[in-house]
Amino acid sequence: MLSITNLSKRYDDVVALDQCSFEVEPGRMLGFLGRNGAGKTTTMRAIFGLVEPDAGTITWRGRPVTPGDRLGFGYMPEERGLYPKMGVADQLVYLGRLHGMSAADARAATARWLDELELGDRTESKLQELSQGNQQRVQLAAALLHSPEVLVLDEPFNGLDPISAQTMARVLRERAAAGAAVVFSSHQLEVVEDLCEDVAIIHDGRIRLTGHVDDLKAAAPHRVIELDLTEAQSAVLGRLDGVIDTSFDGRHHRLRVARDINLGPLLATVDPGAGVDHFVFTTPSLTELFTEAVR
Amino acid sequence: MTAPTSQPVRPSTGHVLGLIVRREMKVRGTSKAYSLSALAILVLLTGAVLIPQLLSSRTVEVEVGALGEGSREIVDLAGAIMADRVGADRELSFEVTPFDTEAQARAALAAEDVELVVVDGTTVLRQGSSGISGSDVQDAVQRAAALIELEDELAGSGASAAEVESLLSREVLEVSSARGDTNAEEEGARSFIAYAGMMMLYMAILIYGSWTLQGVTEEKSSRVVEVLLATVKPWQLMAGKVIGIGLLGLGQFVVTVGWALLLIRVTDVLPLPVIPVDSAVALVLWFVLGFGLYSVMFAAAGALAGGAEDAQAVAFPISMIAIVGFLVSFQALENPTGGLAQIGTYVPFMAPFVVPIRVAFQEIGLIEHLGAAAATVATMVGMVWAAGRLYAGGALHFGGRMGLRSAWRAADR
Repeated sequence: MLSITNLSKRYDDVVALDQCSFEVEPGRMLGFLGRNGAGKTTTMRAIFGLVEPDAGTITWRGRPVTPGDRLGFGYMPEERGLYPKMGVADQLVYLGRLHGMSAADARAATARWLDELELGDRTESKLQELSQGNQQRVQLAAALLHSPEVLVLDEPFNGLDPISAQTMARVLRERAAAGAAVVFSSHQLEVVEDLCEDVAIIHDGRIRLTGHVDDLKAAAPHRVIELDLTEAQSAVLGRLDGVIDTSFDGRHHRLRVARDINLGPLLATVDPGAGVDHFVFTTPSLTELFTEAVR
Repeated sequence: MTAPTSQPVRPSTGHVLGLIVRREMKVRGTSKAYSLSALAILVLLTGAVLIPQLLSSRTVEVEVGALGEGSREIVDLAGAIMADRVGADRELSFEVTPFDTEAQARAALAAEDVELVVVDGTTVLRQGSSGISGSDVQDAVQRAAALIELEDELAGSGASAAEVESLLSREVLEVSSARGDTNAEEEGARSFIAYAGMMMLYMAILIYGSWTLQGVTEEKSSRVVEVLLATVKPWQLMAGKVIGIGLLGLGQFVVTVGWALLLIRVTDVLPLPVIPVDSAVALVLWFVLGFGLYSVMFAAAGALAGGAEDAQAVAFPISMIAIVGFLVSFQALENPTGGLAQIGTYVPFMAPFVVPIRVAFQEIGLIEHLGAAAATVATMVGMVWAAGRLYAGGALHFGGRMGLRSAWRAADR
């Protein structure tokens, strides 16, 4: 398990990290969420020794992370970067060898990943000759080449078209299924909700919420009811005990209600004759959890 | 997706350095920019050697005028002096035009029919200035006039002007070195290597140092540095780059010097000396030390730059230090045992320029030489450490130029 424990970091007067703690389990994916400047990139850089924390520890399998451990980690930084004038395959082999792979293994892994990412016909191309999306695929290959036990990706879905995003999601799922501990940051909460079993939500350098997504949703103090209502019914429901607020998303009315609300009076108020053909009672979405956490 | 056939093994420092060095050499060495710059230098060099050779005539043509009494004698003697000076491998065409009036003489000067006119045996009339380097003809005329005056003084002694000139042109005293026998050819070789070595080192530092600077800023501009530093230590990345670019620069440098020597031998444009072994060894040693020291400084400067646009600005102080070293080395050429040369020997930023000159002139003892090398190596080691720290602090800074102090402090981050 990759454990980040009480990580703190200041840049002069700016608190970048404040007792930041969360864990990433092997075989699972953790979505690292936060607004811009919340501390996500600083945390990820600290995992790779690119930032020296003022306090706190980062451990892998119960021991502080060493440079040797990091050779088994894969990293895709937010600021994408490879050599623009170097051949795609050449630079992947080079990066693989810096990670300790033999030349033969690095070449084999390069060919395999470029095929996997549908770039098998571009091995000799210079990076700058590829489209932005394809450059991002090469960047992903660079992070995956050495079959890392820990995969850290900073905003991997940024700038991807839907097909490339599906490829990225598939590959991340496969790596987690193969036993890697995967952590990635994203502002696309629906993607995180779809992919990740776990999340950590950071705000002003401090973790506000972390754990299994389902547990966090279940533990939320409210639930969401989504249904079709007339305007008059909406006004009445909004005044019932346990209803926190109501809103209309353009298709359905949404009620935020207390977790232990008694649904009887609410259902009695709804007139089935008015044509209620959509009724959902559920836990809050990740977007709602995030909004609550960073408010 | 299957796992690799064998588990990654943590590579040794030497292995990491080797990978970085090889990448630098492969990518840069096969780039169009490298090939074109090498070709451009060779073409320029060839032109610099061959063009003057092609343009220079085997016949030296001189046209002078004589006006009034006593002038003809002077220009005739000047002709004889010049014939001596042009040597056996060239011919002298020395034409004298007599003038009756000063107006005629001035008209001929204006029409550039003659270079100068000797008037009344007392004055040299020219159309304009002889320029900063003077004029061989004018010099010969002055010498001829002086000899004729001397001949008058020696009247009755039986000595002719030509005999006096011959005597004055001879090197009567034999020169020998207190350290042992030396000969004019070796002295020439030593002067040549001192001067050429200093110039080559200066050029190499600025040209190949700027490659190091460019290499570092390119990695920052492309942001690949963050991927690399997640795997390798900052000093490894910097040292690998300096060594790789240094070897590539050295390769180009050797080819350039080799081509220059070949051209000189083939065209016989210069009397090429046999280079003394101690001088050659010192030149290579100080080339490596000087290039290493300055390249590390350029690499650190590159780390302070936000991108390629800041590169020249951050490198300016280093270029200035190299220029100071270059200027001090001129002083060492003039006086290899002077105070400035001795001080420069122990100042590591100047030593690479100064010490090879002192070695070439055999004006430095072994202890002093070793001391200078030790001081430079010690500074280079310290500089690698300091530059590695600055590199670590500055490498992940992408927003504009970074101050020294900020980079130094950022290394703790």
